[in-house]
Amino acid sequence: MTLPRRIAATLSLALAALALVAPLPAAAASPAEGEAVTLTGEFIDTWCYFSGVMGGPDAVIGSAHHTCAMWCSAGGIPVGLLTGDGQVYMILSIEGDDASNGGDAQFALASATVTAEGRVWRRDGLNYLTVSKILGNDGITRLTHEDYGPVPDFAVPAEALK
Amino acid sequence: MIRAAIAVLLAATFATPAAAQDFAAGSEAKPWGLYAEAPARFTATVSDALCAVTGDCPADCGAGRRQMVLMREADGVLVFPMKNAQPVFSGAASELLPFCGQRVEVDGLLITDPDLGAENVYLVQRIRAEGAAEWTAANQWTKDWQAANPGATGKGPWFRRDPRINAAIDATGYFGLGLDQDAAILKGLAE
Repeated sequence: MTLPRRIAATLSLALAALALVAPLPAAAASPAEGEAVTLTGEFIDTWCYFSGVMGGPDAVIGSAHHTCAMWCSAGGIPVGLLTGDGQVYMILSIEGDDASNGGDAQFALASATVTAEGRVWRRDGLNYLTVSKILGNDGITRLTHEDYGPVPDFAVPAEALK
Repeated sequence: MIRAAIAVLLAATFATPAAAQDFAAGSEAKPWGLYAEAPARFTATVSDALCAVTGDCPADCGAGRRQMVLMREADGVLVFPMKNAQPVFSGAASELLPFCGQRVEVDGLLITDPDLGAENVYLVQRIRAEGAAEWTAANQWTKDWQAANPGATGKGPWFRRDPRINAAIDATGYFGLGLDQDAAILKGLAE
């Protein structure tokens, strides 16, 4: 075997061994395409929803939590789309705008129920969504303030109640 | 794309079963008293989220526009830091942006609540680049906000002074239902 052939054979064996002992993460297998979807759900503040820091999941959606949802969106906390089946989709871009860190497009939709088409990736327990088009915006549909008031209670400052 | 390929290769090379890892070891994370929190200190490669998930990878990680993620070295798992160390409705992206493309060590709290879909959600409290002796506290967000909003002066925390938030409240109220309905709700709360 010539030297170049021996090097090539050695490299091939090394790569094959690496593939056996260290399978690539799922994203490496199909990073580009995702799954085409059309989803309807509420633009939520994912930190308050996932962490429970402000209360249970029913209290941190809808009108009760709208001001806090704006605070968190403007503060750079990731925004998610909560669908009717309880799935949360982490929103990475909206109609080509990749400003998922406090951007205006996601801020303007805080707490709104929208229908969107886009692509979904599932990775290590989380769903990720790129929205290609907002098909409809029903505004805030969950009137959770009727049960919870403002969440957190200081979302409405004392002077606004005078 | 090269950055994404390197991140994937690093993750694959060092991958071992997640169950074998103890991410609490060595953590000095301060507890927040959250139901599903657990201290976690680990080594990872920093990327922006859109890059890690879709392969769209600008060299500057989006220059602050995008959310940031951590590709954990021990098991290749993608960890999403949603929160920084400040208790003021602030995220983690701007804390991690200076480490774009770098291997780092992070310390903080993992949030795991499968009932809500919370997997590999993270609150980052401190960060240091590989080989660095000093940690950087993940509490720069409010300084960045003040620098970006020099005219937002006055009393109270940033979220009371943010021009965009205040404009939205002026337009549709605290509950987002319009000013007439908002006034009625506030009247009811005041009674």
